[in-house]
Amino acid sequence: MPGDESKQDKQASAAQARQVIDVFQEISTLLNADLDRQTLSICISLIENGVNPEALATVVRELRKDAEETKRDLQSGGQ
Amino acid sequence: MSSRSQRVNTGINSLVRRLLVKIPGEEPAAVEERESSAVDFVREILESSDSPAVVADVNQASDLIKKRLLQTNPSPEKALRFTNLYSRLLSIPVITQKWAVLYFLYQLSDHQQRTPPILTSPFKSPIKRRRNIEDVIPGSPNYGAKRNDDIPAEAFAPEGLKKLPEREGGQRDRKEEEQAFAKSAATQREGVALKTALLAENYVEIDPPETALLRDLPFTLQGLSSSHLPFSSELTLKLPSTLPVPIISILHTLAEPSLLYRGLASFIQSPGGGLLGQSLRAAIGGELRSYLGLVATLEGQIRRALASLDEREPRGGIGKAGVTLKRCVVWTREATMGLRLMSLISEESKSKKGGQLISLIHGFSSSHGDPMVGAFAERLLVHVTRPFYDMLRQWIYDGELSDPYHEFFVSEQDPNAINDTPDARNRGGASSVWEDKYKLNEDMVPTIITQDFAQKVFLIGKSLNFIRYGCGDSQWVEEYSKAASKELRYGDTATLETWIDEAYKTTMARLIHLMSEKFHLFEHLKALKNYILLGQGDFIALLMESLSSNLDRPAGAQYRHTLTAQLEHAIRGSNAQYDSPEVLRRLDARMLQLSHGDIGWDCFTLEYKIDAPVDVVVTEWGNRQYLKVFNFLWRIKRVEFALASTWRKCMTGSRGVLQGEDENVTKAWKLTRGVLAEMIHFIGQLQYYILFEVIESSWDELQTAIHKEGCTLDDLIKAHTKYLNAITHKGLLGAKKKHHGEVDENTFMVQLGEILRLMLSYRDAVDGLYSWSVSDFTKRQGADVRNDVQNRRDDDDVLINTPATTRRGPRHLPDSTPALGIDDSIVDEFPVLQERLQALGAHFKSRVCLLLGDLAYQPDVDMRFLGVVMNFNDVYQPVRKKSSRPAGREQGRSSARA
Repeated sequence: MPGDESKQDKQASAAQARQVIDVFQEISTLLNADLDRQTLSICISLIENGVNPEALATVVRELRKDAEETKRDLQSGGQ
Repeated sequence: MSSRSQRVNTGINSLVRRLLVKIPGEEPAAVEERESSAVDFVREILESSDSPAVVADVNQASDLIKKRLLQTNPSPEKALRFTNLYSRLLSIPVITQKWAVLYFLYQLSDHQQRTPPILTSPFKSPIKRRRNIEDVIPGSPNYGAKRNDDIPAEAFAPEGLKKLPEREGGQRDRKEEEQAFAKSAATQREGVALKTALLAENYVEIDPPETALLRDLPFTLQGLSSSHLPFSSELTLKLPSTLPVPIISILHTLAEPSLLYRGLASFIQSPGGGLLGQSLRAAIGGELRSYLGLVATLEGQIRRALASLDEREPRGGIGKAGVTLKRCVVWTREATMGLRLMSLISEESKSKKGGQLISLIHGFSSSHGDPMVGAFAERLLVHVTRPFYDMLRQWIYDGELSDPYHEFFVSEQDPNAINDTPDARNRGGASSVWEDKYKLNEDMVPTIITQDFAQKVFLIGKSLNFIRYGCGDSQWVEEYSKAASKELRYGDTATLETWIDEAYKTTMARLIHLMSEKFHLFEHLKALKNYILLGQGDFIALLMESLSSNLDRPAGAQYRHTLTAQLEHAIRGSNAQYDSPEVLRRLDARMLQLSHGDIGWDCFTLEYKIDAPVDVVVTEWGNRQYLKVFNFLWRIKRVEFALASTWRKCMTGSRGVLQGEDENVTKAWKLTRGVLAEMIHFIGQLQYYILFEVIESSWDELQTAIHKEGCTLDDLIKAHTKYLNAITHKGLLGAKKKHHGEVDENTFMVQLGEILRLMLSYRDAVDGLYSWSVSDFTKRQGADVRNDVQNRRDDDDVLINTPATTRRGPRHLPDSTPALGIDDSIVDEFPVLQERLQALGAHFKSRVCLLLGDLAYQPDVDMRFLGVVMNFNDVYQPVRKKSSRPAGREQGRSSARA
């Protein structure tokens, strides 16, 4: 049955994708990149879709810094 | 595509949502706004840099990560784990942009480690720290622009890249590594960070400040004086004495390119010696321009950095600006290498010119160990060799030497100087257009072409030139140059080679064609062999016959018109008449320079006139060789002719006049005939040997050599010279005996001359004997007529004892008193003649033995063969030493043989 086959294919590719993400996550922990699994998979899909990795890295860094700042602001505001 | 961008959009949205911090109590609308602005910002950044800045290479990214891991961790454990993961990753086919993800992770880790040193520095006051953070994290929207300033090397790199391609690849890598190294070192050993911070705190202000130095630096790099760094003279840069030693040493390093630039700038202003020198200057000028471009970018960086400086920082905040003196040193390092190499070249080029100059630069490009130096020299070479290739093109397509500064490896010879060279003297001062007009100068052959190749090029040009001027076929040359001319340049050696090969083939074929068709070279060679080397037997025989009576007279009595008339007669009377008039008109008979006592035979010579283009092959030297061979052969022929006529006389005479009863006389005649036959044998063998073994076989070799495919004019000349040498050497004309000290006496030429002379005198003696016999015969006839039978009986008595006859003779000849004297002389002559014949014959034999002795030890097979042929039945005993024994011992044997 073609439907079954495609289903199996999908399952296989999903398993592979999971594997890839596993590997990448391990690498990211090795490198101290500080990315959780979900963020990582989003980033991977973005890169797969042709986004410049360097720019993406900048973006992530920026957003984090932003977040940190807002947090700090919040803390200082809260005090 | 739209689905793709859609996916990207959703990805961006979810990413932003994940990373944004929820502010408690914020209004949903505000949250929305913040989110959308963040999304916009993210998209802007992502779109602004759509092409990856690094090469898409999985291995490179993984290498970078590995390096990082090794640097940050003392144990290799993590790196090992990464390697495992990486290999697993490679085996999974799902993801196409593996390197990109890896690179992304790498960049992020980058960020993680960048912050600590600043944050953990314990010496920073909270205020300072805060300001730092503000510095590092500016307002989001214009961060992208700011970021470019932060990494000046990147903005600078593309510029630098274009100017100095050796930096390609290396530049970015090195930058990455530098950053990586600096940062990892900082994290690993916090002590270093501490020291840095301490240094920054306790920084001693220098005078002039680094900012001022930086401001002056671009001028210095361009070789211009500035307020702090003046050039005190042409080659000295004065550094401010107030600076501390480390800064001085940095400035020293920076002064190097400046001074080199100044030197090179003055070098390119200097008048170039020759076209190649000029092109070298132009090429160096081009390089200097790109150096100035580099300096300009550097200046831009410095300006921008200085403009964004915060004066309150230690060291004027220069540490944050990204442009420091040290960095300038790094950036100018490779340019300095280039400048260094160029100044080396310019120094060395002063004593060199033309091909040597190219060889010098090519030496750098081909044999220098540093690939950067090689590439640089290669680039220079492209420009420098341009005039050289122009000359080459002119030479191989037009056959013209356009070399005003004598830089090409072919040079035109001064006709006056030619005769002074030892080479020309060897050939007896004969100069030829082909050999001497141009010269290949081996020193000037640049190493970019091989010697073989240079030889070919030389031949092509020479041939074209020769076709144009020697053969008067400039029309063909022009057409050829129009049809074949191509632009030559450095680099594509293979194509160049094929072109040159092509040109070589065409020109050579044309030249040979001209030589054989237009100038009948091969016909001339054949004619030379037929007439000068006596190949045309009937002609020579007729000529000799008709000239013989004439040539017996003294040389002074020879007249040119008789000679030419006889020559004409010989031509008409033999097969020579069917030869082409082109050949016959060149044939001439004349007398050599007379010397006292010569007879016509010694001076007569045939001549074959060779004119302009063909005399390249049959040179004056060749003509002389031909003449030499002709004279020799002519002499042999003449002796043969003389011996043959005497032999004929003897043979006819022996049936009539020579029949006598006197045993003594008969015996003398028998011996004489023996020696005569020996001589005829000798001459016959000699002639056979020279004509068939020497001339014909050499001729055969010449024929195969000159009809070979792809034969060039040089090959022709060589083959012909070899041919002549073979003939003169084997023909016993040039070979010198090596066993004895004296040279002149021992050549075969001299020996043969002696033998031939002996033969002629012997023949004279035989003629004398003959006439004696004849007169004796007539006397006897007369006596027969007058006297009766009784008298004849007396005569028989007389014949037993000759003196008795002579004494009695006159008594029985009553009528002629004058005959008395004649009779007396006749009687006296016989023993003298006999003795003379004997002596000459013995001398001849000893001579022959000597000759055979020499021949037997010749290295040449053919010459040994001649010895064997002459002495086929071992009649002669070859003698090796010059001091030979008297040949009387051999008399018996040789007469037995005869």
